[in-house]
Amino acid sequence: MNRQDLKTIIYAEKKKEETNKYKHKICVCCGAGCISSGSEEVMKKLQEEIKTRGLENEVEVIPTGCMGPCNQGPLMKFLPEYNIYQKVDCSNISAIVQSQLIEKKPIEDLLLFADSREKPFIDARDDPYFKKQLKIALKNCGHINPERIEDYLVHNGYLALDKVLFEMSPEEVIAEVKQSRIRGRGGAGYPAGLKWETVYKYVNDQKYVICNGDEGDPGAFMDRSVLEGNPHRVLEGMAIAGYAIGANKGYAYIRGEYPLAIKRFELAIKQAKKLGLLGNNILGTTFSFDVEVRIGAGAFVCGEETALIASIEGKRGTPRPRPPFPAESGLWGKPTLINNVETFAAISPIINNGGEWYSEIGTPKSAGTKVFALAGKINYAGLIEVPMGTTLREIVFDIGGGIQNGEDFKAAQTGGPSGGCIPAEHLDVKMDYESLVSLGSIMGSGGLIIMDKSSDMVDVARFFMEFCMDESCGKCVPCRVGTRMMHDLLQKICENKATQIDLDRLEELAVYVKETSLCGLGGSAPNPLLSTLRHFRQEYENRIVQHD
Amino acid sequence: MKSETAVPVKDMPKTDPRMKLIAAKLKKESFKPDALIEILHTAQNAYGYLPKEVLSYITKALHLPPSRVYSTVTFYHFFSLKSKGEHTCLVCTGTACYVKGAQAILNEIERGLGLKAGQVTADNKLGVQVARCIGACGLAPAVVLDDEVQAKVTPEEIVQKINAKIGTL
Amino acid sequence: MNTIPIIIDEKKLEVDPGKTILEVCRENEIEILTMCHLKGVLDIGACRLCLVEIEGINKLLSACTTKVAANMIIRTNTDRIKKYQRITTELFFAERNHVCAVCVANGKCELQDLGYKVGLDHIRYPHLFPQCEVDTSHPWYVMDHNRCIMCTRCVRVCNEVEGAHNWDVMNRGHQVRVISDFNSPWGESVTCTSCGKCLHACPTGAIWPKAIVQGQLQKNPGMINELVEKRKMKL
Repeated sequence: MNRQDLKTIIYAEKKKEETNKYKHKICVCCGAGCISSGSEEVMKKLQEEIKTRGLENEVEVIPTGCMGPCNQGPLMKFLPEYNIYQKVDCSNISAIVQSQLIEKKPIEDLLLFADSREKPFIDARDDPYFKKQLKIALKNCGHINPERIEDYLVHNGYLALDKVLFEMSPEEVIAEVKQSRIRGRGGAGYPAGLKWETVYKYVNDQKYVICNGDEGDPGAFMDRSVLEGNPHRVLEGMAIAGYAIGANKGYAYIRGEYPLAIKRFELAIKQAKKLGLLGNNILGTTFSFDVEVRIGAGAFVCGEETALIASIEGKRGTPRPRPPFPAESGLWGKPTLINNVETFAAISPIINNGGEWYSEIGTPKSAGTKVFALAGKINYAGLIEVPMGTTLREIVFDIGGGIQNGEDFKAAQTGGPSGGCIPAEHLDVKMDYESLVSLGSIMGSGGLIIMDKSSDMVDVARFFMEFCMDESCGKCVPCRVGTRMMHDLLQKICENKATQIDLDRLEELAVYVKETSLCGLGGSAPNPLLSTLRHFRQEYENRIVQHD
Repeated sequence: MKSETAVPVKDMPKTDPRMKLIAAKLKKESFKPDALIEILHTAQNAYGYLPKEVLSYITKALHLPPSRVYSTVTFYHFFSLKSKGEHTCLVCTGTACYVKGAQAILNEIERGLGLKAGQVTADNKLGVQVARCIGACGLAPAVVLDDEVQAKVTPEEIVQKINAKIGTL
Repeated sequence: MNTIPIIIDEKKLEVDPGKTILEVCRENEIEILTMCHLKGVLDIGACRLCLVEIEGINKLLSACTTKVAANMIIRTNTDRIKKYQRITTELFFAERNHVCAVCVANGKCELQDLGYKVGLDHIRYPHLFPQCEVDTSHPWYVMDHNRCIMCTRCVRVCNEVEGAHNWDVMNRGHQVRVISDFNSPWGESVTCTSCGKCLHACPTGAIWPKAIVQGQLQKNPGMINELVEKRKMKL
């Protein structure tokens, strides 16, 4: 397919959309969360219902990716009215269809958040849950069928790839990404544009692009939802990166725990190849780019880039010291660009709307939006995307609907086992890279676990230390033995058997492991401990037994 | 990812279809040593674990040193060297599930079956595993029973469901 | 060849670019403690004893894997580094079951030497006392996992120099163990050539020849690099 063909297809698809014979569109959330709540049966039942009523020429039913409020699922959205129904049960589908499509009025009691708000919002877009959000990476999630490339094309899919191939030089693409000031969404927040430029500058006949989808933080499911809800967006981002840095091969490393994401991403590759948007001579140009999926086999440390590379090479996922960085010597010793799923998902809007547009969203040092996975003792758990700099209070109370059972907020855990806990007195912290670091936590990949008073912070620290101890690759001494020693000491404190000396040793070890470990896993393993010590020291001291 | 009932390889006829599955995958990957993990995935999915005979076969086919294969297998959670039982029960202990009481669920199962996570009942009926996070945090606490996600479960519910599967607990 | 200026512990040096900090220090008699480094095999930066401070770099870097660059200002003996070396040494001793008095390597052990160098008089952490095997199945050699510190010098020498790849590492975290083939007894190995290089590469009393009494062990780790060099020359 050449450029003209793509335009023709998009034009034809858009025309089809405009002159849509359907008056209504019903989106059924088929994200992993809603599927587990039974959305596939809901979808089947809904299709039967539409058919029985002879409405199949008026109503289109499509499965979509994640809509957001996962614990209210299965979710069903009526367009163009934007009425979202929650906890849809096969038994009330008939009533919903009758009311919505025949009587033309929604059943308010079944709408989203009807059971927790005084009055639900008829048009879901008015609900503060959505109003406070800004969806860029997740833009099409929940609107399009992730298993149809045409759905993506209608929403200007692959136009950014078309634009870079025909109108921009690799340098210009990199300049655009630099101007957007987007920082790596995998956790560390390294400026993506700089990374691209570094890889671009290494001269080599073979370079690689790797998409890091090894989302191993417990409590995080951002990458999963992006891959399941809009796989083509990620694929397009990877291809643009390949063009910019001069790579013709990409790997998407996806967690084995995410079979649906793997399935949809593989399908997306197949569809894109068929249309000539991937593979040899993309859109008739000299640029060729191929992507292969690599399935993770269950090792948290493989989120670390050098470990991930080792794993793609079929080895134990043990990290190696940097420098040399993968940008210089990565996969099979070749210059390699590694970015996170969410980073790649933001690339095509940056190209389409310009780097400047993106850089104006968020805060001066942290541009753009961030996807968070809200979970824990919060009313509306699920997936949200907000501009950087949104306060924790807004996320927890305006979007998340506050703490379950009206309890008090105690702490929010960000960054998973590499992050820390933010106490109630810092509820007004702006969620951006620097502010979180100044509180002893990190942005991480975006897991946000909300805790109430039932959470014991010493036990939380022990939980994460146990995680790091189990996930340590065992290569370097501080991480291998240090995490075990810290875990044992924390266990002792939890059992009310530790003394002040134990606590002092624990703190000394924490700083030691942080500073001496070989890779980021060990280097950040003490963070949950250090941050709970900083903000909740009293809970530790209450458990110390006084004897000599 | 469905796994069939695991049976030791030596009891299988020589024309075991699962062995053919692995052979096909090896061929697809052109016997490249760096495809080791991909091939192990295929074998693990086919058998539910990695029998020693299968490992030897893969080792020879890829011309890898045995210790290199064994070191890779034991590094990753997904691969197991022991059969996980006819039915599997995977308790998610990710942060969200942990906050919502996954430990109580696990305790109840372990107490009821008299085993620890990672073990299989004496009659090989049920294997209990823990996952670090299955990514279904909105549905916490979650348990996967034979590839089926059980959302927001209570210890009592899950015990009941296990009972229905294996008849004792 | 052009040299570059660097400063190590206030000492101004002109050194060849392309060398690691460790190589430069050894050439200039600046002591750097190491355990996993073995001349002749690839460095992995695992023991973290050779960490140095470099001005302008936030993190401590391992001297064995970091190359010198022009105008680097390196410190190898600050209080912080000394403190961390001591903790690392303590963790080595606490991890498995090291009893010098009954060990074949007593007096010839690099771990024991390390203990003396950092002034280890007691260990502040509880010993983990793992249950480790002693593999005596090989006709000539013994592998005692109680004394193994996971430096993986044996693994690398077997793979890179001998080319047999009998050894590798299984599991992860504190459960890691050096294994032979499919974690089978060493004596049943189908890959081991019984060349004995691992024995010389091992810094402790973990691998030793049978028919040796306590304290009588002779090891020659320098032989590994000589061998590598000779092989390159193809005399």
